[in-house]
Amino acid sequence: MSGPSFATALELGAGAVLVCAVLTMWRRSLAAIVRLLALQGVALAAVALVLGLHARDGVLVGVGAVVVVEKGVALPAVLLRVVARDTSSRETAPLVNVPASLVATGALTLLAFAVAGPVVALVPTVAGRLVPLGLATALIGIFAMAVRRRAVSQIVGLLLLDNGIALVAFLATGGFPLVVELGASLDVLLLVVVARVLGTRLHERFGVLDLDELRELHD
Amino acid sequence: MSALVRLGAAACVAVVQVLLVAGGGLLLLGVMRKTRSRCEGRVGPPVRQPLLDVVKLVSKQRIRPAAASPVFVAGPVVVAATAVLVTAVAPLVTSDPPLARSTDFFAVVLVLLLGSVSLALAALDTATPFGGMGASRATTIGALTEPALLAVVLALSVPARTSNLPALVREGIVDPRVVASPGRILALCAFLVVIVAETGRLPVDNPQTHLELTMIHEAMVLEYSGPDLALVTVGESARLALLLGIFVNLAVPWGVAPGRGAAELAVGSAVLVAKVAIAGIAIATFEVFTAKLRLFRLPEVLAGAFVLALLGVASTLVTR
Amino acid sequence: MAGAVLLAVLGAPLAASACAVLCPWRRAVGWLGVAATVVVLAGGVVLAARVVHGPAVTALGGALRVDALGAVMIVVVALVGTLACIASVRYLDGEVGAGHCSRRHAALYGALVQVFLAAMLLAVSAANLAMTWVAIEATTIATTFLVGHRGTRRAVEASWKYVAICSVGIATAFLGTVLVDLAALHAGHGPHASANLDWTALVAESPRLDPGVMRLAFALVVLGYETKVGLAPMHSWLPDAHSQAPAPVSALMSGVLLAVAFYAVLRFKAVADGALGPGFSRALLVAVGLLSLAVAASLLVAQRDYKRMLAYSSIEHMGLVALGAAAGTPLAIAAVLLHIVGHGLTKAVLFLGSGEILATEKTSEIGQVRALLARRPGVGGLMGVGLFALLGLPPFSLFVSELGMIRAEVDVGLGWAAGIALALMAVVFAALTSHGRQMLLGPLAAGERPTRTPRIVVVPLATALVACALLGVVAWPLAPLLESAAKTVAR
Repeated sequence: MSGPSFATALELGAGAVLVCAVLTMWRRSLAAIVRLLALQGVALAAVALVLGLHARDGVLVGVGAVVVVEKGVALPAVLLRVVARDTSSRETAPLVNVPASLVATGALTLLAFAVAGPVVALVPTVAGRLVPLGLATALIGIFAMAVRRRAVSQIVGLLLLDNGIALVAFLATGGFPLVVELGASLDVLLLVVVARVLGTRLHERFGVLDLDELRELHD
Repeated sequence: MSALVRLGAAACVAVVQVLLVAGGGLLLLGVMRKTRSRCEGRVGPPVRQPLLDVVKLVSKQRIRPAAASPVFVAGPVVVAATAVLVTAVAPLVTSDPPLARSTDFFAVVLVLLLGSVSLALAALDTATPFGGMGASRATTIGALTEPALLAVVLALSVPARTSNLPALVREGIVDPRVVASPGRILALCAFLVVIVAETGRLPVDNPQTHLELTMIHEAMVLEYSGPDLALVTVGESARLALLLGIFVNLAVPWGVAPGRGAAELAVGSAVLVAKVAIAGIAIATFEVFTAKLRLFRLPEVLAGAFVLALLGVASTLVTR
Repeated sequence: MAGAVLLAVLGAPLAASACAVLCPWRRAVGWLGVAATVVVLAGGVVLAARVVHGPAVTALGGALRVDALGAVMIVVVALVGTLACIASVRYLDGEVGAGHCSRRHAALYGALVQVFLAAMLLAVSAANLAMTWVAIEATTIATTFLVGHRGTRRAVEASWKYVAICSVGIATAFLGTVLVDLAALHAGHGPHASANLDWTALVAESPRLDPGVMRLAFALVVLGYETKVGLAPMHSWLPDAHSQAPAPVSALMSGVLLAVAFYAVLRFKAVADGALGPGFSRALLVAVGLLSLAVAASLLVAQRDYKRMLAYSSIEHMGLVALGAAAGTPLAIAAVLLHIVGHGLTKAVLFLGSGEILATEKTSEIGQVRALLARRPGVGGLMGVGLFALLGLPPFSLFVSELGMIRAEVDVGLGWAAGIALALMAVVFAALTSHGRQMLLGPLAAGERPTRTPRIVVVPLATALVACALLGVVAWPLAPLLESAAKTVAR
């Protein structure tokens, strides 16, 4: 892939990952949020593919394929089944209202740019300059976990965090050795399955997937 | 001599653009209503209906409230005048409009804002409850759209290192990669949301309603009649056409005439009409599937637009 | 030969886990699990003997690498694992007998405990820091179901909090790992992606790592792994999970899982110190250590639940360990490791004892339990002695290790931090003593007779306490191993 079109494709892919993260804070419908997550997974895979093709790195292309299957298809499918079973599939009352959390995502993005300074300085390539976008996605994920009150949207927050970190890893280091990538992917997949099973149990015990009900344990 | 020719050509461009936007704006309204009707399975009024309405209004008697002050009289005039002024100098048909060097994006935003403010003041002037309510809602929305709009301008002008509107359009023609850059895409998405909010389309405002609980723009112009109402209608539709014209020229800059020749202008006009019509039909189709949002949900939409524009600014920092 | 031992150490729990999955629960399967941990213990001792004065043992083409530090951790995991597996047999017998859980559910428990052990062993024997991360993440997955095993509302709530908070923490640690990888990539030896996070290579070239990126990376790693260690401010899952998990699982989590996560911090600290000098990691660790001590002390005073009390005491001890690691001298690290061994044994004894009390008294409230020494002399006595050990009284090893850490802190000019820590420890001491007195002391009620505690409970726990005391008095046989381990990560 040639220089300028490589840069544009990379920018578009990384930008799409961040925009999907912001849009998940915008939407209330859980199904829409999960679909955005799937879109983000595809964008992330596109970044890996573009980087892999540019560097003629077969492993990275393979990782891109794994990411498409895992984050674009498998995880959203698991989550959509939970959403379909939930009777009121909307994020009704997040701790921070939507306009304020949107402004917060903007602030987090700027924070990511500030924090990632040393990284950008160390990697003077197109990919290096995009690292703050991944960091911003990760921060938005943590923020989503902190303010969202539904089990599914907390899992989504966790996956946003994971996608952001994966984006940083692809852009900054060209990905990990395949064993580690596979291990990490497997871990995340299992984690979501675990969370899903737990969510089902919560549903059985508490009747809702609203985490505000979890207040029996405290000091 | 050549100065005179240049002046004549510039005037010619301005006249073409103003006529196209003023007349075309009304037809655009007609097209959007027709699209809506067809999607809903109705025949709907003919496309030229808004034009006929305006002609009818002009011939009617003008009635003004007894308490009206000059502010009330000035409202429609300022709305129409600001729209005409910006239309004359905006890069719509050609990327070399009159006063091209002074057509700053910030200035365009501020001049259009002047029109909105004067209309809100005029609505307050008669002290009717509907006017006040409409003005209050319109200013609330305006206060939310303005920051987003300014962020949009910032996101577009930082990478180009200029906020000159014709230059922004030309840059897109010269280097197509600029149009595909994430910063530009994000900013234009936000711009579209702002346009929908500023021109009172669904889901922000329903232009067809006269239900007191929901109307925003219509509540402000309730007191106008005859030629005054015609002026308001023309001014508002011109605003819609103008903003959509700027939007499509930034998003898809191809087909904009590079100079001021007659043939170029003809081609440019045709392309502009086609692009704006497509955009209008797209918006109208979207409106069919959308319900009006509650007023309290509006900040979410507009904050979203603001953040998108802010991300656009941020991504220009990345891509330089 | 040593490589084969290492593979056996990792393989034994996995084999036991496969057996547990394949056949429904019966007592023999449980004892098979105990056998697996004994194999691990034996293997750990063999490895320790090999590496104490020799080079590190490697296997699988260098993917696994055990040095003295790793050997210490394997031994701790095996010791606590053996205690927990013996207790698991009794716990599952009780649950299945009482009809609280099906045989299949019990089999799942048995399998997951072994997977949990295998993941911890992999974490401490992986040569690559990214592999360590994968293994620690795997412990989260394995333990989530174990925490929620009892299936009550509270247990499910605790396991949800556990998985949510720990996943965020562990993801943060991954981000830090990615950045360390980035720094290594640009340290001037070209893109050998596969070797970048190999710990020995990283330490060797740590002076050439970019300081700006390393500062960010180490802060993220500490913030991330400290979630699993249970250090404040990321500790909030710990009391819930430890109080709701079955007692053997609590013992494993508190006794070794926290320590395994801290092991990862120690490894990263060695790299960060090479790149940044000791100042940065010292400031960070002192801050989280003192904060954890303060949180633990303040919440222990009015604690009403004895399992939560033990959980907060774990936070306190991890805070002490963080302070010790902040000092960073070989003496300090040796003391830290001794503390980890002592705390693992003691906390396992206390959690297993409290599980026994919970099973017989049916309450976890401190106020509802009384006169244990008179009513149940066996378990009551064990709890009493265990509390003495936990409070850091001689002759137990926690006394020696706390003394060592404080001395090291004073040596490097952290005397003020040690002073604050001592004051907070005094608060903890008072709180634990008063809660312990309420539970243990008191006369028998009229007509009540003391109950015997089964030998299967008393013998392993008493052995563990004797071992702890032995370590405190003569530090045998660990002293050379601890010294050699300390030298691998401190200089």
